[in-house]
Amino acid sequence: MTAPRIADVLHRALAAEAVLEERGEEVADEWQYVTDLAAAWRARLESVLAARGTEPAPPGSADAIDAAADEAALIEDPHRAIDWLSTLPQIVLAALGERT
Amino acid sequence: MRFQDAARDARTVVYAGIQADRLVTRAADLLVEAAPLERLLARAAMNGERTDPAAWRAMFPGLFGPAVEPSLRSHAEAVLGVSLEVAGRGEQARSQYRGAVVEALTERLLARRSREVRRERRILFDGVAAEIHPYDVTVEAPGAAEAYDCKWGARGITPDVLLQLDAARTGAAAEEASLRVALVVFDAYRSCLVRLARETAPADGTYLTTIETMHELAVRPATLRARR
Repeated sequence: MTAPRIADVLHRALAAEAVLEERGEEVADEWQYVTDLAAAWRARLESVLAARGTEPAPPGSADAIDAAADEAALIEDPHRAIDWLSTLPQIVLAALGERT
Repeated sequence: MRFQDAARDARTVVYAGIQADRLVTRAADLLVEAAPLERLLARAAMNGERTDPAAWRAMFPGLFGPAVEPSLRSHAEAVLGVSLEVAGRGEQARSQYRGAVVEALTERLLARRSREVRRERRILFDGVAAEIHPYDVTVEAPGAAEAYDCKWGARGITPDVLLQLDAARTGAAAEEASLRVALVVFDAYRSCLVRLARETAPADGTYLTTIETMHELAVRPATLRARR
């Protein structure tokens, strides 16, 4: 099996963020914040994708990001989804050895 | 400018019980020694869905991976354990516990450089109606006072919070007293900037400490401006 690249794990993370964004948008009063927050973190993750996407994922990072994405997928409460919209990318960046 | 204990009403009495809970003090005692990545683990696990520690260990190879020093791993295990206990308190209670943990952590960090740290204090100025809501943590050092409002997440940054901090700052300035006002947010700096970008309440004189940098409170006041 081919070792995952950073692009592979980031695509998983970006997909999980998109689901959290959709869930968080259910809080009508926070729609703008949710949209802005998702855009800011998406841009940060995409900047890593552009810079390091072809590199092999660091040891443990693919499992870490899978576990974080699995956790995010379990979240049904929209308020918690907003919280995780910020938490998930921090976990992803930490696993990749990046600053938030 | 002078400081005063907050009036106690029914809500504050209930919340005082949470603030004094052993779970809160254990979490704060562990987090005051924590690395930034352990604080992120706490943030994630306290507000997560799963209670199986294995899932959280997998998420943080920098804390639980094979190359991690045993002392860090052991401390991270303790942080994870207490965080899952907070999560286990149930949806309603855990939001209060999380807030109390951030306040208690802030208090402990500040206490490393000052003996003048207090909780739940109002700040009074001559001829100005006092704010009802107290400041979460204060450093009441003569000539170098600080007031902190603590938030679990960037979403807690609201116009009311910013207005109250700014009112204290301007009140102090009118009396030529020194008072640094700051937010302590257990969330990423990036998320706080996103939140602040659309806030029109005054924040130019307010400082900001976030999950990445809050350990610095142990050695100096918050140094980042809330609004860049």
